[in-house]
Amino acid sequence: MKRVTSYLMAAAVLAGLASCSKSDTTKVITPTVPPSNPIAPGNISGFVKGTFTTGNTYTITGDLSVKPGDTLASQQGVTVIVKGDAQINVAGTLLLVGTQDQPISFNSDSQLPGSWGGFQCDSASSVTIKWAHIDNTGGPDPTGSARKTVFVNKAIPVDIEDSWFTNGQDDLLRLQNGATITILRNTILCSGSTDGEAINLKSGVTGTVAYNVVYSQAGTGVKLETSSTAPLPQTIVDVYNNTLVCNGWRRGQAEPGRGVSVGLNAKGNIYNNIMMNNYQGLEIFKDADTNAADLHYGYNLFYASQDTYLDTTQGGNLQINIRGNFYPSDGVGKPQSTDLISTKVGDKDPMFKSFDGKVATKNGASTSNDYHLQTGSAALGKGNPTYNNDIGAYTSDGKGNKH
Amino acid sequence: MKVFRFLLTALLAGVAVSGYAQVTFKGKVIGRTKQEKLYGAVVTVTDARGKAFNVLTDDDGEFKFKRLAAGEYDIKVEFVGFDTYRSHVTVGANKETEVRVELEERVKELVDVQVFGKLNSEEEAGARDKEQRSHNIVNIISAKAMERSPDINAANVLQRMSGLTIQRNGGGDEAYPIIRGLDPRYNNTLINGVKIASPDDKSRFVPLNIVPSDLLGSIEVHKSLTPEMEGDAIGGTVNMVMKDAPEKETWKVLGSVGYSAIFFDRKYLSFAHKDIQQKSLIEKNGLGYTAQPGDFSRSNLDFKQVTSPPNTVGSLVYGRRFLKSKLGLMTAVSFQDQYYGSNSTFNQAAPDVHAKGAPTYSDYATRAFSTNQLNSGLTIHLDYALNDRNKFTLTSMSLYSFLAQAREVIDTSLLGGNGGRTVPGTGPVGKDYTSVTSRQFLEDIKLEGKHVLSNHFFFDWTGVYSYATKRTPDFADLTINNKIDTVHTTHDPNGPYAFVVTPDYFDDIYRIWQHNVDKDYDVLGSLAYRNGLPGNGSLELKAGGLYRHKTRYNIEDQYTLKPTTSSSGIKQEFTDINSAQWTVYNSAGTYEYDLNNYRLYEDVTAGYGQFRLSFPIVDITGGARVEKTKQGYSLNNFHPTGINGIDKDYTDLLPSIDVKYKPSVRTNIRLSYYKAIARPNYYDLVPAVRYSTSDATSTQGNPDLRHSIADNYDIRYEWYPGADEQIFGGLFYKKIKDPIEYELVGGTQYEPVNVSDATDYGAELAFTKFFGAIGFTGNYTYLYSKVYSTKSYYDLSSGISNKDTLEKRSLQGQTDHTLNVSLLYRSKKHKLFAEVAFQYSGNSLAVVYPIYGYNYMQRPQSNLAFSAEKELKAHFTLFTKFNNLLNTHVKQEIGSLRVVDEQTKLNFSLGIRYTH
Repeated sequence: MKRVTSYLMAAAVLAGLASCSKSDTTKVITPTVPPSNPIAPGNISGFVKGTFTTGNTYTITGDLSVKPGDTLASQQGVTVIVKGDAQINVAGTLLLVGTQDQPISFNSDSQLPGSWGGFQCDSASSVTIKWAHIDNTGGPDPTGSARKTVFVNKAIPVDIEDSWFTNGQDDLLRLQNGATITILRNTILCSGSTDGEAINLKSGVTGTVAYNVVYSQAGTGVKLETSSTAPLPQTIVDVYNNTLVCNGWRRGQAEPGRGVSVGLNAKGNIYNNIMMNNYQGLEIFKDADTNAADLHYGYNLFYASQDTYLDTTQGGNLQINIRGNFYPSDGVGKPQSTDLISTKVGDKDPMFKSFDGKVATKNGASTSNDYHLQTGSAALGKGNPTYNNDIGAYTSDGKGNKH
Repeated sequence: MKVFRFLLTALLAGVAVSGYAQVTFKGKVIGRTKQEKLYGAVVTVTDARGKAFNVLTDDDGEFKFKRLAAGEYDIKVEFVGFDTYRSHVTVGANKETEVRVELEERVKELVDVQVFGKLNSEEEAGARDKEQRSHNIVNIISAKAMERSPDINAANVLQRMSGLTIQRNGGGDEAYPIIRGLDPRYNNTLINGVKIASPDDKSRFVPLNIVPSDLLGSIEVHKSLTPEMEGDAIGGTVNMVMKDAPEKETWKVLGSVGYSAIFFDRKYLSFAHKDIQQKSLIEKNGLGYTAQPGDFSRSNLDFKQVTSPPNTVGSLVYGRRFLKSKLGLMTAVSFQDQYYGSNSTFNQAAPDVHAKGAPTYSDYATRAFSTNQLNSGLTIHLDYALNDRNKFTLTSMSLYSFLAQAREVIDTSLLGGNGGRTVPGTGPVGKDYTSVTSRQFLEDIKLEGKHVLSNHFFFDWTGVYSYATKRTPDFADLTINNKIDTVHTTHDPNGPYAFVVTPDYFDDIYRIWQHNVDKDYDVLGSLAYRNGLPGNGSLELKAGGLYRHKTRYNIEDQYTLKPTTSSSGIKQEFTDINSAQWTVYNSAGTYEYDLNNYRLYEDVTAGYGQFRLSFPIVDITGGARVEKTKQGYSLNNFHPTGINGIDKDYTDLLPSIDVKYKPSVRTNIRLSYYKAIARPNYYDLVPAVRYSTSDATSTQGNPDLRHSIADNYDIRYEWYPGADEQIFGGLFYKKIKDPIEYELVGGTQYEPVNVSDATDYGAELAFTKFFGAIGFTGNYTYLYSKVYSTKSYYDLSSGISNKDTLEKRSLQGQTDHTLNVSLLYRSKKHKLFAEVAFQYSGNSLAVVYPIYGYNYMQRPQSNLAFSAEKELKAHFTLFTKFNNLLNTHVKQEIGSLRVVDEQTKLNFSLGIRYTH
């Protein structure tokens, strides 16, 4: 009996256990970690280190400097207003981490193009910018020249993701001298007054530029080169799945901008990019490292929303044949069999969700184009699968641009 | 002049009326020991009533009184370094009287000739005499030689001297001496023995092309230092000596006109100066002013092709002594208005990675410069001998130089940037037009006193105020660009193409206002003890010191003008400056931020002890000097990321010894050792980074730069066959610790750095010898220097550049072989002098190239110049000067690539000189 009872009890326990079986619920109890060196909201200038904290507004009233070894960090949802053409000098670490729901914002008080100095990280130890709006940068520096929005002149890691840059002047991201870069899913709009590239990578930069949108840059969307005085180390960058639209017009015919250019002793893999309405499309310059076995390009989609663009610059009417410049004749780049090259309006249309049809626009112009692809877009499913099955920054697998 | 002539006529008339017979009294003055003709000796005759007349001896040591009354005269003949000759002479009524005067060399120089003597180094014989008597190693060129040479400024004169070459920057507008292969930073420049302020905005150099040679009595180049000389002269010291008050009233007036032949070939590019605003907008309107587009003038960028005006030169020299010769006055005024130009190709080279870094062209550029330089100067020398034991001298030199330069640079880029050349004839073209006006002003006032305290003690003191400034208002630089391209003629991207030239686009305009002020205050003093020693010897012990306080500031304010854009944002085409529309990009100017706005100071405190032992066959001068330097700068504006200032402090002990062995009265053998330093240039220390806008390079100063220290050894044999003749042969060796050279650091950053220790050695030969009417003068210098730079190898396959390879090279700016030969013809009978001057300079390293095996080399060049003068009648001389007769090009090459080819063409002038 005792044994039977035991069995019954065991069975009951088992049954009970079986009946209340459910997946684990784990409650992680995180301590409320205060940010390191929180910075009090309000006016700031001079030397600074610490953290801008969520939800606060900061006003930069004079040049801000981060010393070597120090960190300037920002939590999500921070608003920064910059006055008086001030700039942020970083000799330490820059760590701006917003979120999709609560991005960070840096803008000038006047909100006019070229009205503050940007991030001068010449000698920083690392630069990270995620989910941040950085607008109206590029005001004049002490010599009267336009400042870059993010300037790095050192072999450091640079990680810029999911951010928006609008209405800068001159070069927007100028990264050179050995920086290791990750430039992913950013949107760069209407920058450069009458000069400047959106992503200008020089002298020994290595890394990846992918899923970015560059629209209406004065010069070139993505430019890879080294310096004629120091052609080594090489600049080696993979440029894929970017959407590059309406770039290169403001410099005029004598210095046309490109969607992507590979120049002086640079090399890389240039795939799956949409290049539409750029002054010139993909340029492989004669002085690029074309001998190297690993300069590859293809699967790029070239499109023009109109046959020609009438450049009515003061003093002349110049008919620019946009399709004739997909592979500019002064370069050594040649159409690849995997490329999608439009031969007339409507042929191989990437079919953006919305596009206003403009070609050249001003620095600082407003724009509401949406570069997501509509069903039936020529870009879908035609990509180099090593990178993505689709072409352009917005891909159907969700890996692309999240803006 | 008229008054003067009237007086002369009246005097002669008076003499005639009084009825005296007028006769000629002439003679010859020679040194007894060497039997040399003494040139510039003062001959004074005094008649029975005490009336004195004087004349100077000429090239042949001869003098002549043309209209003396017959009678009894006391005659006195004085010449530096010789005992005064006194005698009595009877000038007969009916014949020419002729005498021969032999002067005895003064043996004991207890009272140094430099204190109370009259060294007339303005004449060649005087210059030779001073070289021979000098306690250290020196080369001197006299005013006479400068006057007769093809040259009109100190820089051109110096380049003909032994061991010297001249470094010029682009356009030939600023010239600095390179002594024995050592660039200007290793040398110092003095006026009357004391350093002068520099009008440069970054360096400590004094441009020698702004010093008219008419103002100078002589130029001395000291190649060894004694303890009493300033120690920052590893290469040597250039001392410009002003004219001294003459024993006899002297007038000299000259005027000449000339032309640069380059303007026979092309027009002179000119621009208006009338609208140039002398002050920047912030200086005029105060901080906080917002610059407007209309604030910037257009006429100084509106270039016009005009016919070049002629070059003109004028000068006036007057000197005499007053108050029974106790007060001496010498004043000189000079004016030189020169128009010159250059046409050049200026190609850039860059490493070709496919050829292991061998240079390949990256740009083709042509440059055409048109320059107007107006130099003027005023010198005043006053000396007053209170008595035989106390003498005071006040000298002042003022120099003013105005430069107006138009530059046209057309640059076609072949590599990099936004694409280079594809097929011949194509490429992006940048056209750069610059107008610059600048004014430099230098003022140097020196007061000195020399006192004989007792028979054995001597004291002298000097106070100097030196001021220099440069003002460059509205440096205006316009850039426009176009592109010559191949453009498709159909929609087929693989289809045919045609050449297309795009319109000119308006790129941007820079406007810079700059000015700087440099001030030196110097106090010097020394106390000497002198006594005789057995064996006709003498001993001098001297102790002295110097304190100099220097300050400088530099101000710049820069504006960028950008083209207005079309409605679609495209930049405008450029048709002409008057229709160009712009916005002011940095409307607040750079005044409050500019890294070129700085202040600096340099305080030098020096003391020395020096001995001098003199015996008839040997002189030994030696001792030691201590120089304590404090130098530093501070930026006017706070820069949070960089270094805002530097203070440096260092002290050097600088021993030296000079031995002069005199085996005969005509020969010296010299041995010398000295230690010297070179201080970093002021701006070399300022670590402000200036990024290139076109590529990833930058330039910056180096606060860790150390001053250079060198041990210098010299040996020289000197032979003086005649009064104005010389044969010198010498060898030198220098070991320089921490030499400073500009190099590309890390491939992308130009910086002044202390490269490895350098050795610099060479041989010099100088000669002047006459064979009757024909003479030869010249020099030959061989230089060798050795220093190591870190160079790279480029290997694309491995993708690495080896940066650890040391390459042996010469110092930058050092020329291996330099030869100067002048053929002189002088005929007393025909009153004619002519000189043909030839110069050959060999290879020199212009700029270091970062890749192993290559450097920018300046190629050998041969220059020919000619000058002549003919005495027309009494007091008037007609002269002519021709420079660059061979149309010599300046050429630079790297490997086999020609990167610079510059020509300036022939330049000539014709003038007349009145001397009394």
